[in-house]
Amino acid sequence: MICLLVFLYSAGNAQDYKKYPDKDTTVNVQLNEVTIKGPLIGSDQRIKDFYMANKAATTEDVLSKLPEINMIRRGSYGVEPLIRTYNTGQINLLVDGMRIHGACTDKMDPASIYIEPKNLQGIHIQTTHGAVAGSTIGGTVDFKLREADCGCGKRVTGYVSSGYQSAARSLFETAGLNIGSSKWAIRSNITYRGAEDYRSGGGEIVPYSRYSKLNYGLSAKYIFATNWYTKADFIYDDGWNIGYPALPMDVGYAAARIAAVSIVKQKVNAKWSNSEYKLYANNVYHLMDDTHRDNLAIHMDMPGHSNTFGSYANATLQFDHDQNMQFRADISTTELTASMTMHQLNQPPMYMLTWPDNRSIQAGFGAIYNNRFDTLSSITISARLDQFVNYLTSRAGKDQLSVLQKSTDDISRTLKNISTEMAHHFSPRCEISVIAGYAERMPSSSELYGFYLFNAFDNYDYVGSTTLKKEQAYKADINMQYTVSKIHFSFTSFATKIDNYILGIHQPVFNAMTIGANGVKTYENIEFAYMAGMEAGVFYKAEHKFQFISTFKYNYGTDNNSEHLPLVAPFKNVTSIRKQLKHWAMQLDAESACAQYKVNKSSGETPTREFFIAHVRGGYFGSLSQKPFGIDCGIENIFDVAYKEHLDWGKVSRPGRNLYIQVSYSF
Amino acid sequence: MNRKRILLSALVLAVCSILVFGCKKSSNNVVAPSPTVGYIKIAEGYAAGAATKVEIYAVDSAFTGYNKLYIALFDSVNNTFVETAQVTLMPNMDMMSMSHSAPYENPASTSAVNKMFPCSVCFIMPSSGGTWTLAVTVQNLINSKNGVATITINVKDPSTARMFSFISPIDSGKYFVSFIPPVKPIVGINDFEVVVYKKHSMMMFPADSSLGISFIPTMPTMSHSSPNNVDPVHSGKGHYKGKVNFTMTGFWRLSTTFRSSMAVADSAHYFDITF
Repeated sequence: MICLLVFLYSAGNAQDYKKYPDKDTTVNVQLNEVTIKGPLIGSDQRIKDFYMANKAATTEDVLSKLPEINMIRRGSYGVEPLIRTYNTGQINLLVDGMRIHGACTDKMDPASIYIEPKNLQGIHIQTTHGAVAGSTIGGTVDFKLREADCGCGKRVTGYVSSGYQSAARSLFETAGLNIGSSKWAIRSNITYRGAEDYRSGGGEIVPYSRYSKLNYGLSAKYIFATNWYTKADFIYDDGWNIGYPALPMDVGYAAARIAAVSIVKQKVNAKWSNSEYKLYANNVYHLMDDTHRDNLAIHMDMPGHSNTFGSYANATLQFDHDQNMQFRADISTTELTASMTMHQLNQPPMYMLTWPDNRSIQAGFGAIYNNRFDTLSSITISARLDQFVNYLTSRAGKDQLSVLQKSTDDISRTLKNISTEMAHHFSPRCEISVIAGYAERMPSSSELYGFYLFNAFDNYDYVGSTTLKKEQAYKADINMQYTVSKIHFSFTSFATKIDNYILGIHQPVFNAMTIGANGVKTYENIEFAYMAGMEAGVFYKAEHKFQFISTFKYNYGTDNNSEHLPLVAPFKNVTSIRKQLKHWAMQLDAESACAQYKVNKSSGETPTREFFIAHVRGGYFGSLSQKPFGIDCGIENIFDVAYKEHLDWGKVSRPGRNLYIQVSYSF
Repeated sequence: MNRKRILLSALVLAVCSILVFGCKKSSNNVVAPSPTVGYIKIAEGYAAGAATKVEIYAVDSAFTGYNKLYIALFDSVNNTFVETAQVTLMPNMDMMSMSHSAPYENPASTSAVNKMFPCSVCFIMPSSGGTWTLAVTVQNLINSKNGVATITINVKDPSTARMFSFISPIDSGKYFVSFIPPVKPIVGINDFEVVVYKKHSMMMFPADSSLGISFIPTMPTMSHSSPNNVDPVHSGKGHYKGKVNFTMTGFWRLSTTFRSSMAVADSAHYFDITF
């Protein structure tokens, strides 16, 4: 595999570049110097303003506006992104191509929390295949890190931004500095966020919803020659006293250290292009904490560690004017351990491993072949092969898991992914693409090795199964784009049948470990599950002055007994109108969702009511001493509606009326 | 030149590694440790007729319950281990007004195992109620002499009970049940034994294999159990072997049920383990 990596990099280096836009169904939301492409969003900046409206927004705020993304919310912080109805185990959540595994058994720390919008170049979402990012049935969210800027003749640039939000009396302070020359550049930034318990719609304070975090980003770049450079990225993220109102525990301390070194070569010659080689490592530490909770049944310490090392190489081979092939080879290894120690008065400590010490090693190779038959039609074929080996690394881990009477031997699985996309322009205004694919995914570490992991969603303890088969998905998507004058329509519909779908199944013979839990579920492969849905968008833009964006999404899922899958978001619409003047901008947003009655009764899921909320935003963008100066302000949830979305755990109300202001100054 | 240097460096590194890691052989000149290491001597006596000194060893001091004992015999002339002998036991509790014996297991063989004779006594009460003596009859097969050592043993109640008795409503028999806990409890699967004796007379407590045993391990302070436990099954001489699964460290209680011909003979007792 290492040879393959080296080969790909050197092949890419060997020569050149000439590239067509990917014909795969990719959504790129680039937050800075925006170029957005993909069927839903189109090939322009249609939704840039929408997403960037609020400069105080977190990465999660931005994600939550994307039609493909649904968010599981357990608190103000650590909101877990899903693609459509696919859960965390079914998607890849990457940081600049790097795999990062959270250190929390309760999924309190998705990788998205380590990325501040200021570190972010763009969000790359891929829903149809995992040829590049890794075998997946649901897709990939990749947070592209912002590189240091060699500057346009300006050696030192920087910014300072400060903001306040009323709902959680929160502060958002950020500053950054970029030093660049023609050969090298260094970019650093620091962000602090601190929030108190927020006020939900109607005025009720939501206890245990506060958080504080500090994020440093450092990026350095050295240019060897035009389009040939090396870069190093480092992210240091510390969070503390993070509340999760929907969970029985909070987080005392969470730390992530993310480091990567890359060599990038673009536009080399006519044959090879876009080669990148990256070596990365990351470490996540997560310490749950219940000392701030009242009426505690039992005090617990729950630390978790995750260590990942990996490497990948990319290169694109140009066959001729109409054909190219993109290659990817990668390896990675993740080591996980998490434990729980319960403390009871006059009792010895009760200790167990919640993730018995385990390691996962992955090696994969993928390729994407693009062929543009003529100006109207094209085909894209993507394929990937992944080999996984997962094993328990300690005697204690094996001893403990043997209680479940499942194998504690090494787990080896080979994953195959293949997808084909055909696109055709039926008229200059109308393009339709059809995608069919087969995908497999590896069961997650919690699904394999989890040991009495409490799930607050259904109030069950979950136990892993080392004999789980891989999930196998048969996927079909159809996408249509239609443009009339300044109005652009897009529509995507998708359907998937997943064989060996992994679901928690209640085991009456098992005894819940968590006090008050309903029982124990083990992860099992059920025969199959269906998922389907659609995303649609209407975009209108009259130059810069007036924009209208409205997106719709709907998801549906059932298991083999025709019972609705849990955590499926209902129909939702997000609509935004923005009017821009020379120095001023005004924006109105409306978010609404239907009630969700299609619930998974066997997990105790209950229906969620419909809601409608509206936001108003304004901005002034001028200059101060001839330097850019801006004020963003607005009122979110103007009508102070008490509402929750269906994927919000614990039926905890979302923030009520929120007045915010963010002042930014650049130099 | 440069390439040579790299090659040479690699060679040096390889040689150094061999020197460092290759010389890690352990020497074989270690003196074998004494067979009594790891045990404590709980009592000793002298079997006069056999010209043999008798020392009784155990992992822990004697307690109420099933005590695994190791008897070391020494030739009183040259003080060497006597490794071939017929050893038989007879425990006795002298309570002044009366006396009784206790269940026991004689050494299985006339040959010592690692120089000592493994055997057991299930002391059914502590010494606080009288005096426990263990009569060790030694037929020394080296010098062909016989003798008896009557040794007083101080038996204490353990901090966690390791034995109980019950009277079965089915056959009105009195059963003594001892617990042999896992040697080193782990979070995982643990082997344990239950040893059952039935009282026939004040002096006879033969092993019993007639009962069916089931158990449920729970953490009383947490109100939860563990899955996939294996009920003890008779494996010989009143020993029932089972497996208990601990899902975490801490205080565990194994609540037992004894059945005689499918009817419940006792379900009121338990054994505790804390680790």
